[in-house]
Amino acid sequence: MTEIGVQNSAAGAEDVELVARLRAGDEKAFEALVTRHYATMLAVARTYVKTRAVAEEVVQEAWLGLLQSLDRFQGRSSLKTWILAILVNKAKTRAVGEARTVPFASLAREADEPAVEPERFRGPHDAFPGHWRSYPANWGASAEVAAEDHETLRVTMRAIAELPPAQQTVIRMRDVEGYSSDEVCAALDVSAANQRVLLHRARSRVRAALEAHLDG
Amino acid sequence: MAEHISCQEVIELVTDYLERALPSEEASLFEQHINFCDGCEWYLDQMRATVAAVGRIEEEEVPPETRDKLLTAFRHWKRT
Amino acid sequence: MIAYKFLRRDGTSVFTGFRWPLSADAPGAWVDAPIDPCRSGIHACRPTDLPYWVGHSLYEIELDGDIATEQTKVIAPRGRLLRRVGAWNDELRDAYTRMCADRAHELALGASPPLEQWDAVIEPSVPEGPALLGFVAARIAEERYGAAAYDAERARQSAWLVERLGL
Repeated sequence: MTEIGVQNSAAGAEDVELVARLRAGDEKAFEALVTRHYATMLAVARTYVKTRAVAEEVVQEAWLGLLQSLDRFQGRSSLKTWILAILVNKAKTRAVGEARTVPFASLAREADEPAVEPERFRGPHDAFPGHWRSYPANWGASAEVAAEDHETLRVTMRAIAELPPAQQTVIRMRDVEGYSSDEVCAALDVSAANQRVLLHRARSRVRAALEAHLDG
Repeated sequence: MAEHISCQEVIELVTDYLERALPSEEASLFEQHINFCDGCEWYLDQMRATVAAVGRIEEEEVPPETRDKLLTAFRHWKRT
Repeated sequence: MIAYKFLRRDGTSVFTGFRWPLSADAPGAWVDAPIDPCRSGIHACRPTDLPYWVGHSLYEIELDGDIATEQTKVIAPRGRLLRRVGAWNDELRDAYTRMCADRAHELALGASPPLEQWDAVIEPSVPEGPALLGFVAARIAEERYGAAAYDAERARQSAWLVERLGL
């Protein structure tokens, strides 16, 4: 498994500027940074510790840790990767002595969850078993437009918030924050295959929520 | 080799396909199916649109207490 | 419009299993869609589409009515098989498979560093037939050069087929 902090992509110009602003004491920059990553950091911390309250403390400690080691940031990895590494370190430290009740890896092996309800497909004795009874809608270009719509964003956010924790963590890390598959596996200590199962289920649920919203 | 896979099987492979994690035989069958079946092609596009929508969500609220604690810590760090 | 259609060895459609009316010396009977329960239409290939659909037997098909063109196929409300394309026989099919396999090796081993994992997949895929090999070659091209290279490799495959088949 890849170690977090191994260069997936180095810091871009945006990161370099942001670090400079933090060093200069720019509060707005710090607040924006915290806000941007908060939900995902909390979700990741939550996979290590028992309660939300403790997870919030871990996130706070991670931000403090970031500030304290800001001088050492050299831009070899992105700021986002670096924050994640600090967070996971803090979370693991906190988790020592606090055994996780359910190992994260086992959460991916929950009972089968079909991506689409079986009733939407023809049965095994049909002439065309497993084919759609009626096609899903062709969102096509309208999907681009819909994504800009505030209501659609709200539906998406709510769907994510309602996901089981393991699925929510993976989809936030991959699709919201854009961490790589390797980074997610390393941070959560899961195999690539397990990570994909969680991602698949998460995306499937969010798609279903969007379908209900867009197609009525 | 199976001559084709059903729609019900295809939709379960979508994430692996997008992740480029399907073995070539399955990927080839998947692709042929998508080329043939409009329903599954539209489903694949729906999944792509879903990923795009998730990527656009707005930042969520940081609990005020947490935000205050962090800002205080930042100001303290600034001074030292 | 004249187009092309691959069928299984027994003259049935690969995806739907529909048994196409065939005739030894004359065009087969006209078939009206719907055949596919999900959507009306007879699916067929233009020459550029052939690599995506490579199968056991190749037929020339005459399409009628409003023809919809899509990225890798055309769809018509009715069609009839005109003749089997005899040039697409076991020998040519094997030659095409070998051509794709050789291209795949060339692409995989010519990369720096060589794409060993992809290369290892090629020979075991050969018994599975031409469709898979065409896909593998195009995917290796994509791994090496990006998405546009996938399409370019498919176009190369199509050109090879068109020339050998005299289409």
